[in-house]
Formats: sequence, C-alpha cells, structure tokens
Amino acid sequence: MSLSKNSSADGKILTIQIRGKFDFNLVQSFRQAYADVGEQTEKVVVDLRETDYMDSSALGMLLNMKKTLADSIDTIQITNCRPQLKKILQISRFDKKFDID
Amino acid sequence: MRVLVVDDQPLNCILLKTMLEQQEYDVVVANDGAQAIELMKQCKVDVVLLDVLMPVMNGFEAAPKIKELAGDVYLPVIFITTLEDHESFEKCLAVGGDDFIHKPFDRVILSAKIRAHARTRRLSQEANQQKKQLEYHYNQIEREHEIVEHIFSNALDQSSKFHKYCDYHLSPASMFNGDMFLMAKSPMGGFYCLLGDFTGHGLAAAVGALPASRIFYAMVSKGMAVNDIAFELNGVLNTLLPSNMFCAAAIVELSESGKSVSAWLGGMPDLYLIDEQGDVVQTLESQHMALGILSDDEFERTTIHLEVKANQRLVMATDGIIETENKQGEMFGESRLKEALRSRHNISTEQVIQLVHSFSEHSAQQDDLSIAIINCLASEKAQQAPIVYSKIPFEFGVQIDAQCIVSTDPILELVDVLSKIEGVSEHRSNIFLLLSEAYNNAVDHGVLGLDSDIKNREDGFIEYYQLREKALTQLENALISIHVKYVPKDSLLEFIISDSGSGFRIKDSKDDNLQLEYGRGLRLLQEMSCDIQFNVQGNEVKIVYSLQ
Repeated sequence: MSLSKNSSADGKILTIQIRGKFDFNLVQSFRQAYADVGEQTEKVVVDLRETDYMDSSALGMLLNMKKTLADSIDTIQITNCRPQLKKILQISRFDKKFDID
Repeated sequence: MRVLVVDDQPLNCILLKTMLEQQEYDVVVANDGAQAIELMKQCKVDVVLLDVLMPVMNGFEAAPKIKELAGDVYLPVIFITTLEDHESFEKCLAVGGDDFIHKPFDRVILSAKIRAHARTRRLSQEANQQKKQLEYHYNQIEREHEIVEHIFSNALDQSSKFHKYCDYHLSPASMFNGDMFLMAKSPMGGFYCLLGDFTGHGLAAAVGALPASRIFYAMVSKGMAVNDIAFELNGVLNTLLPSNMFCAAAIVELSESGKSVSAWLGGMPDLYLIDEQGDVVQTLESQHMALGILSDDEFERTTIHLEVKANQRLVMATDGIIETENKQGEMFGESRLKEALRSRHNISTEQVIQLVHSFSEHSAQQDDLSIAIINCLASEKAQQAPIVYSKIPFEFGVQIDAQCIVSTDPILELVDVLSKIEGVSEHRSNIFLLLSEAYNNAVDHGVLGLDSDIKNREDGFIEYYQLREKALTQLENALISIHVKYVPKDSLLEFIISDSGSGFRIKDSKDDNLQLEYGRGLRLLQEMSCDIQFNVQGNEVKIVYSLQ
C-alpha cells in the first residue's frame, strides 16, 4: 500500500497513483498529495491502475478532495480502474461527480 | 620448397636435380607426365619443371592435369623447352604453363625464375589460407545470426491482434533492427506501445531489445504506468549497455476508453497527434534523455498526458525517417514528414515510408526506418475464460482481540487466505470491500462507539479518523469474530461478523444524498452482496456473496 504523486511537464495535471489498498490508512498522505495544488494545476488524475482494493473510506477521501479543490480544479479524473473497482464507483454514483475514464 | 622435375632424359634430370639441390631445394623426379601426376598425388610439390616431349604422356597433356590437382593454390608450371617458335610458346601458355626455361640451362636464370614463382606460390598459399579462414568465419557468423534471428523473432513477436490500434512499419538498415516496436495490452484494457531506437544499427544495436522487450511485456501485464516502465528499462539498460550505447524511446499508453494518452518520451523526435486530414493537432516533444544514460536517482519520471478523440491518430517515428538524405545531402526533415502526413486522408505508415524512399531516390538506406501510427480507439472487451471454482466446501473463523484490532490489518490477510481458494481470487476486490465495510463498522461503531455524524462537520472527515486513532490506543477489552463459509454447490460465500460492542443503530440507508459522509458503506454492502442481515441488537451482520 503506497501513494505517489507526479506533476505533468507543464504543471497542469497532477497525478496521484495508489498502489495496493485504498482505504482510510491513506487519509493523511492522500490529503497531503493534493494539499499544494497550485494555480497552474488544471486537472487532478487519480490513477488506480495498481489499486487492488478500495472501500467506502476511499470514496469518502475522494469526495473530501473534491470538496477541498472545488474552487480551484474543474475536473478530477479517476483512471485505469479495474472492473470491480469501477463497479464500486458506479454503485456509489461517482460518475456524476468525477470523470471516470 | 619442393621442385618436381619431369623429363624423360636422365641426363637432364640429374643436371637439374644437382643444380637445384645445391640451392637447398628438395627435388623429386618423374620421367613422364603420368608419373608426375602419380607423384603429385603422393607428395606436396611447389614448382613443376615440365619437359614438352615425353613418352606415355607429354607435357602439353600433363600440364592441365597438374594444374587441376593443384586446386585453388597457384602451382607454377615451367616448361623446359628447346622449341623457339611462337606457336609452341602459345600452346604452352594455353595448356596452363606459367613460364619457360630453355635448354641448355642457365643456372642464374633458372634459379631466379624458380625463386620468383615460388614467391608467388607462397602468396597464393597465404591468400588461400586466409580465404578459408574467412569462409569459416563467415559460415560461423551466418549460423550465429540464424540462431539470434530466431530468438529475436520469437522474443519480439508482434502478433497481428493489435492491427486495429496500430499501423507500423519497420525497415532495418541491416539484418538486425536497432529499432524496436513493442505492443501489449494491460489487464485494464489499456493499449501500450514502445518505439525504441538503440544507438547505431545492426546486431550490436539490436541486443538491447531482448531484455527491454521482456521488461516491457512483464510490466504492461501488471498495468504499470509508462514512467514506471521507463524507469525500469532505464535501470536495466544502464547496467547492460556499454556507456556509449543508449536507447531513445517513446512509451505510450492509450487508456481503455481511448480518450486519454500518457507518454514518457526520451530522446525521440517529436510525436504528432494528427486528425483525419493529417493536420497536426498537437506536437509532443521529448522531455528526457534516452534510456540507459541516467542513474536511478537522476532519472526523471515526468509524463505527458493528453486528451484525444476517436478520429485522431498519434504518429511516432525514429530519427531514421527525418534524417534520411537525398543525393544532394538534404534531409527529409520534420516539415516534409508533416507534409507527408497531410498528403493523404488517413495515410498509412507504408505510404509514408514510400514517400521517404522516393525522396532519397532509393539510395542505400543509412539507418533503420521505423514509424508507427496509433489509432485512438476504445478498447474492445477481451473474452474471458470461464472461472473454475474449487469444489471443496469449507468454513473457518477468526477471533480478533483488542490487541490485534489495534496492531494488525486482518481484512487484507483474510482476503489473501480466501484468494487461495481456486476461483475466489477473481472476486477479491469485492470480498475486500464487503469484509472491510463490515469489519470497520464493527470496529468504529461497535467496539469504539464512534458516531458517523462527526464526518459531516466542517473538516469532520479528518477529525473522525483522528478520533478513531485516539480511541484505538485506549482500547482494552474487545473482540470481533469473523466466520467464513464457502458453499461451492450454491456458489456462495457467507460471512458472519460480530463484535463485542453493545450494538449500533443502522442509519437509514435509502438516503441517496452523496453529500453525506456516511451511509455509502452500507449501500455498497447491500449492492455488492446478495443478502445482508443485521441482528436485532446491531452487533452482528450476516453477508451472503454470490460468486456467479
């Protein structure tokens, strides 16, 4: 379980990547990952390609991020979900609030 | 150095033998052509002195046979003659003679001629030796190349299953390609490709492709990000390749939806995103050094992300294309490449290569030419093989006490144990979700008595987890038990999770309000399971999950 972040070359896209398990154990580091989102950041991508597990606490963390960044970021994209995780996001109607790729 | 004297007159033979032996030559004598040929089959001869008129087989007849026996190496045949007319000289030359010596013999001339011819023979022997060595090495290399080619074609096998996503053309300047193009799909449906260009061309440039391809395929099968793949490749190539060799590379991932592209580009010419007309919509420049140069801690992972549309295509080519020169020494260049892309609706890589060839007026190719065009398409669902499930029913239970609640992560371990049952592993994300929700309910509300309402306050989300952490440190007596039952005949998994708490009230789960920070877990439980029941007290939940 770990988290890494990465800014695109032009600084417009911040990518947060989560490995293994996405749950409340990441509460602090997830919040820190987007804490310093600057003015030039236009988009945040949460890349779940290496995420095997998530639960409702992860959903809470995503919504919390959405709320915090509401003024500065237009799109938060959740990408590369495995089918079972995608279903969790769909059941929770996250497709209405996030751009799920 | 051995001289063969062929003469039917004993006196001549003795005379020549004596003269030559004085000059340290080894001399053998034959009295006619047939004898000479017999002798040559028995021992090695370096120079032949051949009389013309002899019984049994004369010199004219013997000369071509002697030459034939000598094979590839020059064997000087010097005619001993009294004849002076041009016609005879010409005949001597026509049958293979190399020179003449007249009777009576002049010692100085004879010795000079033999020395000169012997020297030519020595050179011829050396040349022949070298030729044999060359042939040997050539054959050896041919054989090695065949083996290596076989390995390469297997390792870099590009099955045609990706032709929808990608059109590519590789034309190596020699037998082995210093450029490589790899394609693969990740478990999430993303399409990956890598276009690499090793320093130089030919076999030396191609060797790096073997380890690189293994790493690429392995990492794509795990669905890793392009910059992680680049990092891994860089490390391996840095270790393996000599310091003057490296690999420019474009590693590109097209997401499952076909709507976004991420790319790590190192040392490659610009990539172009083009529309149907071939007009460049966006230019992607390499931001990094080629692979195999920087150490792990110097390596830069920055990735380019871009949004793409269904009719757009991404063009990548190695520098062989833009650096192709025409006879005037002019390069094909970027603007000609862009022009080429515009020259036809949905141009193919084959057509681009043809334009490059006609620009170079079909002169010999200087470098490997590679170009790939990716179609930005959504991924097609892969047909999944039916899952095979274990037929053995079983059940087990775990008791998690306060100490374990505080210090362990029992759900992940339980999911790992359950994943060992054949077939169940396919459901591990769902099983994790069910167990995690139920267990965390038991911990948070059952054992710790936390109130979800906290989450709805300003900054309550973080506060909630801080409170939780604090409460855990004070936890002394608690027990959570999890009972698991696998029922293969009904394809079911049953979980009973109970806690030592006094029970908690189940909040109305029909509330769809996304703004509420709680209740999502319960709704997920209801959606993902086929049955869920709480006991009256509210400290036990039974969840049934269908594996179908």
